[in-house]
Amino acid sequence: MANEHNKNSERPVAEKGEHIIARHLIDDDAIKEEKNLVIDGVDVSGRWNTFIETRVDSEFDRSFFGEIQKTVVGSRINRCWQCGMCTASCTVTPLYRRFNPRAFIYMMQLGNLKQLKKYVDVAWRCVGCYKCSQRCPKQVNPAEMMEALALLIKKYFPEEIKSKHQLTIDEEVKAIYEGMILGHGRLDLANLHTSAMRKMGKTTELMSDKDERGAIFKMMKDGRALSVLRLGKPHKWHKSKDAIDNYLRHAGTLEQENN
Amino acid sequence: MGNLKENQAAYYPGCALLTIDRAYNNSSKLVSKKMGIELVDIPDYNCCGIGEMKSKGAVSLYLPLRNMVIAKSELGSKDLVMACSVCYHEFTRSIERAKEDKKLLDEVNSILKEADEEEYIPEGNARHILEFLYNEKGPDEAKKNTVKPLKGLKVAPYYGCLYSRPSMYTFTDKKQGMDNSERPRFMHEFLESIGAEVVQYGNEVQCCGGRNVVQDEETSFALCSQTLSKAKKAGADMLVVICPKCAGALDVNQPKIVEKFGKDSELPVVYLTQLMALAFGFSEKEVQFSDMISNPLEVLKEKGHFI
Repeated sequence: MANEHNKNSERPVAEKGEHIIARHLIDDDAIKEEKNLVIDGVDVSGRWNTFIETRVDSEFDRSFFGEIQKTVVGSRINRCWQCGMCTASCTVTPLYRRFNPRAFIYMMQLGNLKQLKKYVDVAWRCVGCYKCSQRCPKQVNPAEMMEALALLIKKYFPEEIKSKHQLTIDEEVKAIYEGMILGHGRLDLANLHTSAMRKMGKTTELMSDKDERGAIFKMMKDGRALSVLRLGKPHKWHKSKDAIDNYLRHAGTLEQENN
Repeated sequence: MGNLKENQAAYYPGCALLTIDRAYNNSSKLVSKKMGIELVDIPDYNCCGIGEMKSKGAVSLYLPLRNMVIAKSELGSKDLVMACSVCYHEFTRSIERAKEDKKLLDEVNSILKEADEEEYIPEGNARHILEFLYNEKGPDEAKKNTVKPLKGLKVAPYYGCLYSRPSMYTFTDKKQGMDNSERPRFMHEFLESIGAEVVQYGNEVQCCGGRNVVQDEETSFALCSQTLSKAKKAGADMLVVICPKCAGALDVNQPKIVEKFGKDSELPVVYLTQLMALAFGFSEKEVQFSDMISNPLEVLKEKGHFI
């Protein structure tokens, strides 16, 4: 019997808990699995004895729910019944397994900040393709729920954003967009691109002319890059800007707090 | 400015089309005019928000809707035509959200009032140029105007995301005359009507990296290389797009994608209206294929379409 066991252990064995669906949502130490186990003469090694410890969520805060529901992007959070169609449709999930819209919405529904915090590093990766919103049977609009999630992260985990390089860049690029759209009423795409590259520390790439087909170079040459100067601002845009600023100051929601 | 004539339509150019994507702008206007509709720019447009302002509450609706108000007051048009899919998304989203949420509409109108603009009344539609040309004129009209059919040219139509998704905003599948959201076909029909051969490659409605094209190149490059290589493998000579953001990801970034993923991802990218304009007999000077980074001119010459 002992020999047989040795043989068994030489077989390729799956990673601990590998066969569990949405494995990445369960903490490592909550999975119990014995590599070699025989009970009453029956070999139940490996996946046959996998056991997930009961999880009790006690640290949630339902008041949180109202905060999300008040925003334009999160207004339909109450409709979600956790079917998972969003995650099944998602463009990002196959690339980053931990990006799971269904789970994010669940955590938001419960107000489970402790759990959400673990996903701050991937939560920003939504590409806004709206496959989830297209297929959601309850019109929750998960794509926009990811925007609500971004608002939460900004409010509750500012230090996480600061400590993670890619998150900082994401925030900084967003700030460039905002500055242009609200400040000038129009977007200067060439300038946006070069400013963003500078933020990402790609200045050498920006300056080199080794690539003849370098897009920026080409657009500088044919004049497209600077054509925005001809456009200028919309007439009396400063009035729009003042009205927008005023609205954001008094919105009284997450949207305002993040302003 | 006065009201529009019968063969005119109010047109929202948007930031990309007036600057780096001038080829799309010019060819859209040429094609529309040839098919019998003149696109008239609304005066004093402002940016639609390009998907980056959604976390700003009513402001995300204010940005597109200010343009709807201008279209109505300056050109007397309830509808607004646009060629960019991101703009289209922002407009349709704002119109639908304003229709269903009275409180939100009131907030938008109070910003409009404070900004010294007219009130927005939820009516009229934003229209994507593809849907607009299809429903107002149709592929038969395109066929009639074709003087140089694009024989022997294999094309892969790429619809991207926001032209047909989500149908709660775009009304694809929901309203008569709209495209199918999972399997759109309007571009297929236009391309066939001008004599090109459409190939099927499976990534027609996939994403290019969308909102994160600028700040998350890693994701965008992976998605784009998949689309480009699949289309190339299916035998396409070029990929046809209808959105400046898709073009930014697939065309402008292509040299970097090829550097990372190899020659399999090297494929010329053009706008639908550029190909239509070419078939309608316009010259390279007007159609500006040379503006594209991925060099479609070479393939077109090879196939004998610039002689």
